[in-house]
Amino acid sequence: MLGLPELQARLAVALLREDAREIVGAVASDGLSPAARVAVYRNHVFASLTDALAATYPVVCRLVDRRFFGFAADRFIRSHPPTGPCLFEYGGGFPEFLAGFPPCAGHPYLADVARLEWTMNVALHAEDARAMEPARLGEVRPENVGRLVFRVDPSAAWLRSPWSVDRIWRTNQPGADFGAIVDLTTGPVRLEIRRRDDHVTLRALEPADFALRAALGAGASFEAAADAATAEDPGFDLAASLRALLEEGLLTGFSLHPQEGGPPS
Amino acid sequence: MASEGVGVRSLPARAGIGLRSPHVAEVLAARPALSWLEVHPENYLGGGPAVGALDQLRSEYPMAFHAVGLSIGSAEGVDRRHLDRVRGLVERFEPALVSEHLAWSRSGGAYLNHLLPLPYTEESLAAVCRNVDAVQTALRRRILIENPSAYLRFACSTIPEAAFLAELARRTGCGLLCDVNNVHVTAQNLGLDAVGYLDAIPADAVAEIHLAGHSANDVDGRTLLIDDHGAPVDAAVWTLYEHALRRFGAVPTLVEWDTAVPPLEVLMGEARQADARRRAVSEDARAA
Repeated sequence: MLGLPELQARLAVALLREDAREIVGAVASDGLSPAARVAVYRNHVFASLTDALAATYPVVCRLVDRRFFGFAADRFIRSHPPTGPCLFEYGGGFPEFLAGFPPCAGHPYLADVARLEWTMNVALHAEDARAMEPARLGEVRPENVGRLVFRVDPSAAWLRSPWSVDRIWRTNQPGADFGAIVDLTTGPVRLEIRRRDDHVTLRALEPADFALRAALGAGASFEAAADAATAEDPGFDLAASLRALLEEGLLTGFSLHPQEGGPPS
Repeated sequence: MASEGVGVRSLPARAGIGLRSPHVAEVLAARPALSWLEVHPENYLGGGPAVGALDQLRSEYPMAFHAVGLSIGSAEGVDRRHLDRVRGLVERFEPALVSEHLAWSRSGGAYLNHLLPLPYTEESLAAVCRNVDAVQTALRRRILIENPSAYLRFACSTIPEAAFLAELARRTGCGLLCDVNNVHVTAQNLGLDAVGYLDAIPADAVAEIHLAGHSANDVDGRTLLIDDHGAPVDAAVWTLYEHALRRFGAVPTLVEWDTAVPPLEVLMGEARQADARRRAVSEDARAA
């Protein structure tokens, strides 16, 4: 007789690998084959997880059609089963999987569309955060401005793609003009994704502004982020950009880099 | 009943509905007359509009949490990280009841998103008791455990499911959530007597009843009932519900609908029917 840990491990394998050989001996037949009984569970596991991926990646699903999506999802679920019980957190590895999935090789933009959808999903469920009062920057001595390390709205993220994934996404929303043709050659795009007033927003940024925000989002000091921005555009107006960040409520707090070149405190 | 801390509204002994995302906006806008709501905590463990909506609903309706991911049947124990997140949500919203299933979904770090069956053995009973103890300790309250729908039985099982649940309740002090549709589905699929099953459940431990629809599928020439929560409550389940009410008394009842979710009004109609059956059963009892 199998112990409980072994029995559960074998049923998990039977469900994920579609190979019930190791478990059927433990299942009573009761008028129906053990394999058919195990298959009922397997069908539910794959159908429900495919539905969860389709809910997170509706545009990808539309672009490749539901049948192909189901095929890709099946392969993904086998190799990347959920590691937690919250379905809205499942599928973060799907864009990478699509990027390396040979049947998708003819759709090079697909993985980036998936990255955009995952980023929007994360933004939707991110923790709520309150914007910092701009006046708090008055506490910072002028010589320390470069050492500022801002905390940013946890729903905000920045995504760059060689493809016009924002246009692809918009063209494939319910109610959009499905007949519209997206010119894939208008990329690259630099996008800011962020939840505002309960809705996930998407907007394109200029290269320098993108560099500044993406660097701050990655935890860089204000000085390092400013350097990244001026590398894109030597005429970049840093003061105006900082005002915009504060007005948009993107910044939620700050600390000071302990010393030049050191990690943030 | 579960321990009721300050600010926790208990559930009325009437029929509520399982709140699913397609209905959240409508319930928030129209505030329909619903006796109580039940939600899956796993859908509210992030931030954003979902949790904001739950905040508003919590002030308007009595609420229960019906967990699907604690995997209290796992030999490897309860996932502490997930349990901590659920505890945070329970502390924030103070639901009247918290329930979970007699099932497992986690093995080797993978979550299979299903309520998987246990062999009913002394080993399993010990593991489930440990896990239920861990959950009740973390949440600092009594939880309810629900009977699952089964499509298979393990040959090594030695304890009938109802007796397993009775012993689980006795050892851990947990309450029971009797899903009458699941009793019917399991009984049909495994060739058991549904009424005998209900009669073997300790009535004083039952603090909630669930109702839902199922579908009938032909598998290799045999009819298998699938607990898909995608149809009205079946006539046989309504009959079984009346038997359950006579056995367990008037306890809060919940109607669930998860696939092909119908308009809210249809779900409310099912809840009204459950209320009508409860009144009829209690009038019969008085007349007798």
